[in-house]
Formats: sequence, C-alpha cells, structure tokens
Amino acid sequence: MKRRTLLASLPIFAFGAATLVLPGMATAQVAGMLRIRLNSDIRSTDPGINRDANTDYLMSHIVEGLVGFQDNADIAPMLAEKWDISEDGKTYTFTLRDGVTFHNGAPLTSAEVLFCWNRYMQADLGWRGLPEFNGENGLTVTIAAPDARTVIFTLSEPSSLFLVNLARIDCAQTGIYHPDSLGSDGKFVAPIGTGPFKMAKWERAQYIELEKFDAYAALSTPRSGLVGDKTPLVDRVRFMIVPEDSSAKTAVLAGDIDIIPDISTSDYTTLKSSAAVKIDVVESFSVAGFLFQTKDPLLGKPEMRQAIKLALDAPQIVDIISEGLSKANQSIVPPGSAFYSQVMAQPFERDLERARSLAKAAGYKGEVLPLLTTKHYPQLFDMAIMAQAMLAEAGILVDVQVLDWATLFDRYGSGNYQIATMTYSARLDPTLSYDMISGDKAEEPRKVWDNPEARKLLDQTKRETRHDERAKLFDQIETLFQKDQPMIPLYSGNRISARTPSIDGYASWPVGSPRAWGVTVKAGM
Amino acid sequence: MKGLASYVTRRLLWTLPTLILVSLMVFFLVRLVPGDPAQLILGDQATAQELAALRSRLGLDQSIPHQYLAWLGRVLSGDLGQSITNGQAVGALILSRFQVSAVIVLLAVGIATIIAVPMGLLAAWKQNRAGDLVIVTLATLMMSVPSFWLGLMLLLVFGLTLGWLPVVGFVPFSENVGQAMLYIVLPVATLTLIEVGVLTRMMRASAIEALRLEYVTHARAKGLSERRVLLRHVLPNAFAPTWTMLGLVLGGLLGGTAVLETVFTIPGLGRLLVDSIFQRDYPVIQGCLLFTAGIYVFVNLIVDLCYPLFDPRVTQK
Repeated sequence: MKRRTLLASLPIFAFGAATLVLPGMATAQVAGMLRIRLNSDIRSTDPGINRDANTDYLMSHIVEGLVGFQDNADIAPMLAEKWDISEDGKTYTFTLRDGVTFHNGAPLTSAEVLFCWNRYMQADLGWRGLPEFNGENGLTVTIAAPDARTVIFTLSEPSSLFLVNLARIDCAQTGIYHPDSLGSDGKFVAPIGTGPFKMAKWERAQYIELEKFDAYAALSTPRSGLVGDKTPLVDRVRFMIVPEDSSAKTAVLAGDIDIIPDISTSDYTTLKSSAAVKIDVVESFSVAGFLFQTKDPLLGKPEMRQAIKLALDAPQIVDIISEGLSKANQSIVPPGSAFYSQVMAQPFERDLERARSLAKAAGYKGEVLPLLTTKHYPQLFDMAIMAQAMLAEAGILVDVQVLDWATLFDRYGSGNYQIATMTYSARLDPTLSYDMISGDKAEEPRKVWDNPEARKLLDQTKRETRHDERAKLFDQIETLFQKDQPMIPLYSGNRISARTPSIDGYASWPVGSPRAWGVTVKAGM
Repeated sequence: MKGLASYVTRRLLWTLPTLILVSLMVFFLVRLVPGDPAQLILGDQATAQELAALRSRLGLDQSIPHQYLAWLGRVLSGDLGQSITNGQAVGALILSRFQVSAVIVLLAVGIATIIAVPMGLLAAWKQNRAGDLVIVTLATLMMSVPSFWLGLMLLLVFGLTLGWLPVVGFVPFSENVGQAMLYIVLPVATLTLIEVGVLTRMMRASAIEALRLEYVTHARAKGLSERRVLLRHVLPNAFAPTWTMLGLVLGGLLGGTAVLETVFTIPGLGRLLVDSIFQRDYPVIQGCLLFTAGIYVFVNLIVDLCYPLFDPRVTQK
C-alpha cells in the first residue's frame, strides 16, 4: 500500500521538485540576445504580401527599400545612394549604393531590384502597394535597369506620393530581397535581404528569432526612422509573442522581456514610477476620433455634426485618455507633420448653447443616437463614455454600443453606423491622411467624407510636387473639412515604449515600430 | 467481449451525427458573427478592389451553402483547409497546439485528482467537523477564484517578486525537458488549484453518500478498520461519479484553456481558437471547434468504457 501511495505521489514530487530546483534559471538573460515583445504572431515572412503591422515591423529588420522614412516622416535614401528627378517630374533615376550585400553574400545590383519589383507587380500576389503603381489609383509606373547600379522608374504623371508609397511600411518599404528567397517552384521560402538582421527561427505563436548580419553595410548618417545608421549591436533578437498586456508588463518588470515597444497609457501610469523600467514617449502620427455617417438623415446635416462637436470638451477627453501626454487636435493631419499649419491648429471650442440651437436647427428631437465603440482599444471606449456624458449636457442623447474590434471594423467598412469611434494607423503624408477618409461613398462605403471639391483638391496634391504649393492645397482642404465636419479627429496619441535598465540605445519613434539596431544589452543586469 | 465491441461501435457511430451537427452549427454561426476577414487582413487602407480580390482569393465571395459543402467535402477527405491569416494547414496547426494544451491539462488534472480524491474522502469521513470545514472552504474558494486572476497572482509572486519562474515564454518538451517544466509550472499549478476544488467537492459528496450505505455499516460491524472501510469499500463506490466528472472536466479542458494560455503565453489550442476568432480565420475556427467537439465525445466515450471498472453494475445492465 505504501508503495502504491508513493507511486501515486510521484507526479506531485516531480512537479514540486521542478519548482524548487529550477528557480534561478527563470530570469537568466541569454548573452547577446535582445528580447522584444510582439502582441501577436506575424502572418508570413514574405515582405508586404500576407502582412499585418507586426509582420511589417519584423520585416523592417530583414529587408530594406531604396528609400525609407525618417523620424519626421521625411523620405531619405536607404539602398539608393541618391536619386534624380527629371524636370517633368515623371522619371526617377536611382543610383544604388556600392558595397551592399545580401544575407547570402551576393552583392546588391539593379537586377534584384528589377526582380522584386516585377514580383510585387504580379496582380495575384496581393502586394499592398500594387494599386499605387499599376494604374488602379491613377498612377502607372514602369521600371528599367540600364546598368548594374542604376534603376529608372518612369511615371505616367508627376506624383508627390511616389517616394512616399515606395517607403510605406505596410508595403514592406518595397523591400529588396535576393531571388534565392524563393524556391525552385517559385514559392517564397524565407527572406534573404540586406537588413541588419537575418531570419533565424520562427516558432509559431512563440517567438521569431533574428541573427545579426555581420556584413551589414551601414549608412554613415545618424539613425532616424527606418534609415540612417542601422548597425546591429546585439548577436540575436528574439521577438516574443505575448498577447496579454498584463503578462507583458509583468515580464518587463521581471526582466524576462527587454523591450515593450508600444504600451498603453494606462500601463504608462503604472510603469512610470518603477525603477525597474525606463519609459520613452514620442508623439505619433495615428489619429483617433468620432466618425459620422453623413448619409444618415439626421447626421447628414452639417448643423447636427457641428452641434456634437460644440458639445464636446475635447481637450478634457484627450487629457484624460492620454494621461496628459497628448493635446487635442481637430485636424486629420497629425501635429508632427511638416505640413501642419495654423489652419489645422485651430483649438476646439465648447459652446453648449450653440450646440443646442444647432441640433434643433438640424431637426434633432431628442432621439437616442447609437455610438459604436470597442474595448479592444481602451481609449476608444473611454472617449465614447466621456462623449456620452458631455453630449447629454447639450441635450443630445447617445447610446454607447460596445462591439468587438472585428465587428466595429466591419461596420466601419460597410458604413453601417451613425456615430462611431475609430482609430487610424499612421499616415506619413497629409495626402494619405485626407485620402483615408475622403472618397465616393457609393464606391467605398468606408469613406467618411464625400465632397467632390475636396477630392479634386486632393488629386491636385498627388500631382503637385512643390512643398509650398502642396501646403496651400492642404490648407484649402482643411478649411473644407472643418466646414463639413464629416468626423471629429480628436488627437494623435503617443507611442510609449518600456524597457529594462539593461538596454541602451533604444528609442521610440512616431510609427511605434520596434528598432533593434543600435541597441545594446548591458551584461549582468 | 462481443457486447463491448458492439457497444463501442454503436457509440462511435453515434458521434457522427453529433459531429455533423457541430460542423453545421460551427460553420453557420461563425458566419453570422459580423466581421470580414479580408478587411481585417488588409487593414484600414484597403481599397474596395483590394477587398474584393482578397475575398475572391479566400473563396469568401461564394454562397455560404457552397462554401459549407466545399469545406465539408475537404473535411471528409481529412483536409481541414488552410488558415486564412498565415496559410498553414489547419490540421497540422491544431495538432501542434493540442499537444501543448494536452500536456498541461493532463498534468494538471492528474495532480488535481491525486489531491482531490483523498481530500474529498477525508472531508466526507470528517463530515461537519473542523477538517471537513477547512477542506470544503478551500475547495469552494478554489472553485470561485477566476483562473486569470489566480494565474496573474502566481505570476506576480513566483515570477516577479521571487523571480523563481519565467513570466513569459514556452519551451516544448521535445526541445528541453527541464526548461519545459520550468515554463509550465505556473499554468499547471493554476489549473490544478482550480480543478482541485471541483473534484474535491464531487468526491466528498459521493463519499458521504457511500458512507451512509448499509454495506459500510456492515463492514464496520465486522470490525474492519476505518482505513480499510474507506479504501476498500467507500473509495471504489464513491469514485464512479468523480470519474464521470473527470471526463467532463478533461473533455472541456482539452479543448484548450484559452484564458490561461493567454496569460502565460502558452501556444495551446485555446489561444489558437481565440486568436482565430478575433481574426475571423474561419477555417481555423471551424477546425478547432470540430476537433474540440471530437475530443469531448472521445474522452467521454473512454470514460464510459472505463466506468465498469468502478461500478460493475453498469456491465450487468
């Protein structure tokens, strides 16, 4: 009997032993390894094809494009040494940098650029940037490679967005990879890029590990955005998939993760006083706000939309949801943009009397308006709750309906809402900012703003390449936007990262993507 | 033996309509939930043309009955399809994630049973006395505590404060047994504590019932020691209902413990299901739910087949 009891207890002993014997191994830092949190797994390793934000972030370590974004959203060279634009603005001649090699040791030439471009332009591949270059959105681009270091793009018309679209992060920066990235059957196997790190291991749902690329050809310009000096200083980077925010927060405090690239403002409040982490805050280019369905009989009236805007105490909402880190901004263009002007920087105004009279003029009779939101992004839910109380002060009744993100996104996509909270990812050019909300609702129900005059001006900004002229056009569009008020942009938010004190050289940037280059891990911490 | 074979065959055949019904419900209910996978994949910059092209590529532009029949045809030939989000084969994906969940669940339920059975027996023996009160209070407390809270508390204490165990990450047993143990200690401990409560209460209730039966009185009258009465006469009879409960618990847990797997970053079946629901990855959702239903049916079949070991009357019937 005793033997049987003993046998039955073995699993408990074994398990207990594990808890007692193994302590100490828990937080052991692997030498030369940087551990960065991702909140979900990547979708693929095929740059810009089957992607999401995390996939793009990872790819930015492996592949590089001809050009890339700097911290301030300006375009700078990456694999290109320089580019020349013809007088008519239709020909871009890129000269490739000398001495750049792929992870397999092969030198970068125009042949690889041509190979990748032709693959990106395959209609059935689903590259994110395709509509911007194949004529679907107006611009057609052809490519030629007259010699090993020269690539020429010919545009059907001048475009202020050509370089911006080439550098777009959601298009994997039109990253250049070696043809051997594909197998003999033409299927993509693994990226062989020119970036500071190369792909090492992908344990699905657990982590993605990158290795330092020893022969990386770094630029001499300072690190900025996804360009400049991107020298890898750690041997390995492990992107650890930790879906739960609380677990990630505990892990960085325990030293089990080195960097969380993007923490919430509520976590910022709890972590900022901890000596176990360092916090970094920068203003982002994303936008959050309230959308109106302008085809709705009531909300189709500008007076009703203006009434709602006048009833909100926007600075107070923003102050609360951003923990005082952000300022209210009623333009769709983020304050960090080089085109942000006085016209866009007009402050919010709160006037309950005018709000009431405008609502009355619009024919509002006290009906309850559904306001869609989600808890997936806590700031959207908080915005909705505060707006509900503020609108009630002006006699405008709102019913906050909480949906999961996929459902809210679906309702946004089909235009099936009256008022909805929404957050837009970063657009690094005002044309893209206005373009994300402006369009023909009959063709694209997700578009919030259907104003032919604004669309005409927006088309001009796409063809106009002179900065000052573009700025004037943006001011005109902004004036129309404020008059129509198809949505209320509220603020641009922040990118907040948390890291352990053992990490040196890490910095957030407005896009919020993690950057493992130029980062060191101090030993023994 | 022949009777048993016919019983098993009948039970297995009965699972077919169940699984077909599950497949129908899963397929159509999932599509009733709003949310467009193409929109989620392409994000907020997608044009109408891009969305239409992706829907067509994913087969989402076909009628729902057409999609169902196509899917069912593939399932019957053993192909659960491919994930919309990452292109992986759903069958292989489910199996790899199930292995992870199964190890944790089997360990936790095994340990919980080893703890709960003597505890329940002891509580029943000491009914309405101090020992019983303590055990019942602890069991009720364990049953009432939400698993995510308990998990986070264990993470805070053993991961953060004491620094004994890792807070995030996972190592498969096939890679390094020692490291693997280290990473599953907390999830197994959490699940064990939760399940101990349920099983202890069930064991206690059954044992109290058995202790009141005449054969126990008879055994005591014969002068058998209390230990012998409990282990020889009460335990086998009282264990049958607990065994049934174990089947239900196992069946439910083997489908994945989504909350725990998320808190402890364990790449198990539950997390796969939750992630795929958020991403509206229809083939994975359907595959996971069908697999979970199959596991539930299978585990309960095994439990039923083992039942005569504890209660021979079942075979006689």
